Amino acid sequence: MPASSELDRVTAVVLQYMRAPFLVLLATYAVGITGMSLMPGLESADGAGSMNLFHSFYFITFTVTTTGFGEVPGQFSEPQRLWATICIYTGVVAWLYAIGSFIRLVQHPELMTAVSERRFARQVRSISQPFVVICGFGDTGSLLARGLSDNYRKAAIIDIDEERIKALRLRDYRVKMFGHCGDASVPRHLLDAGITRENCRGLVALTRSDETNLKIAVMARSLNPRLKIICRATSGETREYMEGVGNVDVVDPYDVFSRQMCTAIFNPPLYNWMQRLIGALDFNLETFVSPPVGKWILCGYGRMGRALREALVNRGIPTIIVDPDSESMDPQLPIVIGRADSRALAEAGIDDAVGVVAGTDSDEGNLGILLSARKLKPDVFLVVRQNHHENELAFNGVNANLIMQPSLVTARQILQMLTVPTILDLRRYLRDEGLAEVSRLVTRTHGILGRERIHLWNEALGGPDCAVTSLSEKGVVPTLGDIQRMPMDRTHRLKVLALVLQRGEELVMLPEDETELHKGDEILFCGTDSDHRLLGANLHNEYTLHYIQRGTEEPRTLFAAWLSKRSFYNRKVH
Amino acid sequence: MNLEKVIFGFFIILALTLNVGFVVGEISTPGHHSVWMLFFALLVSIVTTLLKIGDRSQIGAIFLSASLVANLQLIIATTVWAVGEGGMATPPSQELMVTIISLAFGALVANIVSVMMLVTDTLMSRR
Repeated sequence: MPASSELDRVTAVVLQYMRAPFLVLLATYAVGITGMSLMPGLESADGAGSMNLFHSFYFITFTVTTTGFGEVPGQFSEPQRLWATICIYTGVVAWLYAIGSFIRLVQHPELMTAVSERRFARQVRSISQPFVVICGFGDTGSLLARGLSDNYRKAAIIDIDEERIKALRLRDYRVKMFGHCGDASVPRHLLDAGITRENCRGLVALTRSDETNLKIAVMARSLNPRLKIICRATSGETREYMEGVGNVDVVDPYDVFSRQMCTAIFNPPLYNWMQRLIGALDFNLETFVSPPVGKWILCGYGRMGRALREALVNRGIPTIIVDPDSESMDPQLPIVIGRADSRALAEAGIDDAVGVVAGTDSDEGNLGILLSARKLKPDVFLVVRQNHHENELAFNGVNANLIMQPSLVTARQILQMLTVPTILDLRRYLRDEGLAEVSRLVTRTHGILGRERIHLWNEALGGPDCAVTSLSEKGVVPTLGDIQRMPMDRTHRLKVLALVLQRGEELVMLPEDETELHKGDEILFCGTDSDHRLLGANLHNEYTLHYIQRGTEEPRTLFAAWLSKRSFYNRKVH
Repeated sequence: MNLEKVIFGFFIILALTLNVGFVVGEISTPGHHSVWMLFFALLVSIVTTLLKIGDRSQIGAIFLSASLVANLQLIIATTVWAVGEGGMATPPSQELMVTIISLAFGALVANIVSVMMLVTDTLMSRR
């Protein structure tokens, strides 16, 4: 049992530190009390000369702890005074020693770790809502935690770096996020983080190295065979291995970005619509990103360069690579060897290229590429990779057409997988459907939602106070169109749009307003903040839902029900 | 306009007005407070409670609880008057009168809450 070995360790540390001080204190008290009782005192009125044992104990207690509260002893004899002096000096020293040892004990790293592990496990146990375990609190981890907090989802976070956990405690999240400093690939820590708990909705491995992520995935899979595991992996090798572990979702930011890039090139309305849906901060309706079709120059042939080249070449877009390292390269590739400066860019043929991607793993290098490309050809489409979050200001300063932040791409992708998983199915569906369906959807979105800021959420029907359930039980099945009416005026429509309806295993993409709703359905909505709340009111108040469905008020109280039945009867008679 | 709302509103507001009528006056002067007023206030309050039964919404629950509080306070006030020295035949003593009016004042607050909720609920629904 891990718990008992933990306890053993704590006990061992406590004993090791406190045994000697306890013995010293005990000895001082024993000698002091005995001696005090033996010292001859002054003859008093009731005949007792020396102190009894209880009085000595009382006297020693308040003197050696330096409380100095004198009530019992009367006048002391000289021997008693002498003994009292000795007791005070030895006692105070013994106490100082004991307190010192105690302070050293509580600062003992082993004990502190044990205590904080305990506290973390207890905090996680106290979570009653669904939560997520995040391993690794770097750029991506903190973006993900922020996103989860915006969705009111709790998380248990493990990071090996003490400083990161301290940083976590300083953040102002909307819900409690619990942090623990430790190695996430150790099974004990994973158990403390609650991966075997019923309400654990998933484990996300985001540590710096693919190796550690792999280890975490393997450990977690063996501890809980049913757990949803999401892993970041940036090399193909690890990805294959992880998929072998079984049911592990692998997120590769470069792969995700390459797919987005292809969507942006071949289906710009879809790309821009998705950007609006996910509420990208830098997105506004005026900037319509549409990378051109033509020759692209890829500066840097690392993880990002490889992923992009593969994606672009598969769709028939010519690419040329600029990279200083010629060793590991396939000689067949169109490549310019050297640092991506003006000369290399010119050699790569920037004159007839439509776009440049600065995708090396050095931020200053990428910025340099960007500036020289702009100088050579001002209207070229520029995509730049920003590796570190803290360089944001510098990147905002240069006018790149598209900034790719691996951490942001990963965090967004994982957040969607955790909170609105059906959006990924919708994206796949729309990509296959082609431009016509997308433009119809975009027009519809603009018609209903206008230009307002929107967000995505998942609405699950069938909680304890779900109005849809109680109306269905009465035999009136509400439709999707019903619940999207304004509660104040049923002829108006709320600014919400249902995107995906999930019923069991079945997914209905872009469901019609006539779709009947049933208990257990899950609907992916997009809409404005205020209308999200109004929709919630419709779904949780059966009288409101009754009104917006029928246009009449349902009698609320027993009296009203009786009255309406009577007046109905009367009307019939007359 | 519908009949149900008229009746509902009528009784809720009547409960409040009767309650005010009973409480108003010098708190310790028995001559200012009529036992009949208390009786009708209690009666209407009970009727209001009955009207509120059956609503399953959140606001319905609060409506009912406010009404129950008013009932409780008025029933205690009436009981104190009835079993206190002299019963209802003679005017109560000053101390007793203060107790009775304090209790009825509590009921008044509950009735005000009820009316406020009635008004806001009507304004909020905007239909």
